[in-house]
Amino acid sequence: MIQQNGGAVAKGWVQCQVGNFRLDTEWEIAPGQVLVLFGPSGAGKSTTLRSIAGLLRPVRGHVEVGGRVVYDEDAAVWVPTHQRRLGYLTQQYHLFPHLKVADNIAFGLRDRNSSDSKDRVAELSSLLQLGGLDDRYPWELSGGQQQRVALARALAPRPAMLLLDEPFASLDAELRRTLRRELRTMLAHSPVPVMLVTHDREEALALGDSVQVINEGRTLVTGEPLDVLGQPGQGRVARLVGVENLFDLAIQERNPRDGTMTCVAEGLRLEVPLDAHLSGGATAEGEQDRVTVGIRASDIILAKEELTGSSARNRLQGQVVSVESRPPGYAVTLDCGQPLRCHITGAALEEMSIEVGQQLWAVFKASSCFLVDETPAAETAFRG
Amino acid sequence: MARVMAMSRLTAHPAGILGGGGAAIYVLFIGLPVIALLVRAAQQGDFLAAVTGDLALTALRLSIMTSVISMAVVVLLGTPFAYLLARSDSLWARVVDSLVELPLVLPPVVAGVAMLMAFGRGGLIGPGLENIGITLPFTTAAVVFAQIFVASPFFIRAAKLGFQSVTKDYEDVAQTLGVSPWRTFFRITLPLAGPAMFTGLGLAWARALSEFGATMMFAGNLTGETQTMPLAIMTAMDTSLDSALALSVLLLAGSVFVLVLLGLLTRRKWQGR
Repeated sequence: MIQQNGGAVAKGWVQCQVGNFRLDTEWEIAPGQVLVLFGPSGAGKSTTLRSIAGLLRPVRGHVEVGGRVVYDEDAAVWVPTHQRRLGYLTQQYHLFPHLKVADNIAFGLRDRNSSDSKDRVAELSSLLQLGGLDDRYPWELSGGQQQRVALARALAPRPAMLLLDEPFASLDAELRRTLRRELRTMLAHSPVPVMLVTHDREEALALGDSVQVINEGRTLVTGEPLDVLGQPGQGRVARLVGVENLFDLAIQERNPRDGTMTCVAEGLRLEVPLDAHLSGGATAEGEQDRVTVGIRASDIILAKEELTGSSARNRLQGQVVSVESRPPGYAVTLDCGQPLRCHITGAALEEMSIEVGQQLWAVFKASSCFLVDETPAAETAFRG
Repeated sequence: MARVMAMSRLTAHPAGILGGGGAAIYVLFIGLPVIALLVRAAQQGDFLAAVTGDLALTALRLSIMTSVISMAVVVLLGTPFAYLLARSDSLWARVVDSLVELPLVLPPVVAGVAMLMAFGRGGLIGPGLENIGITLPFTTAAVVFAQIFVASPFFIRAAKLGFQSVTKDYEDVAQTLGVSPWRTFFRITLPLAGPAMFTGLGLAWARALSEFGATMMFAGNLTGETQTMPLAIMTAMDTSLDSALALSVLLLAGSVFVLVLLGLLTRRKWQGR
């Protein structure tokens, strides 16, 4: 059983300047919790990790790791990287090519030849299913094994915080799922705060206890993974997390009794939730007459015939214009006046024998539609 | 399998035919003189006597001693310097970087004259050195200076490329694991750059052993003091071709030995990353 003694909150804030790029971010992670930094490349995710690791000097900031202040510009505190007690996993793992697996794992241990060190290496190898690979060189390992060795090496010195920079990005989908599960198990054993960088939505949902969406060096929103990535309330966030269907609609009629409203666009008529809760202030005085609505492709049911007598408020008929493989399932695009993207499983595709040109019905609840705030002032402001 | 297929495809290709012809001519061009040297040396009767003669042994001893000293200096000073060049991208570093190549294109004789102008009796800092009791020209130290001057770029360039091939990420990861920058250098950077450095050392050593022009100008040709192997060969040519041949074979053997030894050291037990 692996017991970590890094039971302290990791928190801090940094302002960094790299060339013309400005980063301004803050975080707080409880032990055993995973904070996912989500955003496109160049958003500042890796820069955040590197500034926490002390591999990059911020302009200002305050960083706490393992209950200790490791950086504070105003208090002139700067603890060098090797004294910060961090585990840092890079996308390419960077296993030391001249060292065998066991030596890689033991690299960060103080006395590598002591029996304690050997026990630690053995413990991690068995936990991460690396048994029998001790004498291999990194190039003799598969991608998944390399990833496990890198994780074992990062965990060996019992870090007070884990920094994971797209740790699964270069693996195939199947392996990624397995390793995610393993990482979850590891974290249960060793409750340290984890900051994980990814631009993979599935990964963020599977691993994150909370998600922080960042773009162009700024945090757009922080919250529960499902809230942030499932039905994002902000236009920029919705586009960043890849909401498949976003429609710009005119409000035709509000039905306060049902808590819905009817919106239309060319060839499209949708029942969506009432806009009373919309933040952004535009609804307070004069109600706006246009609205952006998002629908997740996986929330849409496809049917061969019209599904009458159901509770679903939205039934759209459309012609299949494309069927694309999207592992593990398929993406079907219907032309319902506007293109509508739906995700279905391979079994469903076969069972319904969906083909391009076919007429299908798309069915979804009003509550599957969510309103997206397009007011640009929706950024969360920082210590202003 | 793949290699065989690539080969057969190459031989059918015009570039393959031309390249093959070129390779044959080149091998002959380099190989023939070497073979001729060995054959002529073997034909002479008192080869062993010439090889173990006073002239040969004195020159050999001096060559080995001076080249070992200059290589030690080159490695000790050149390694941190090469690391700096590899990691820095400042304008300053780039200027210095191109300066490193100057000795490669400078004729050694010119280097010798230049060193004489700097450290010589009437040179720039020669008189100053003389005041504190240091005389460089025409001493064994001058031989070492000349060797360092012409040979160091071979090592520094190779070491720089070696360090550049070790991405900084390895060092970053090592430090996050709690290993100090110094220890990281010795445990990660140096071993990974090692093969490239040994290759550079081999070339630099061979260059130092064969150094002639700059030594002649700056150190002179004094038996036992500045007369290294190449100078001894030149001197022997005047009196006896046989001893010149014997010395040449000895130097050839020495160079091959250095190349093979360092070739063995540059073999890595791991593959590219």
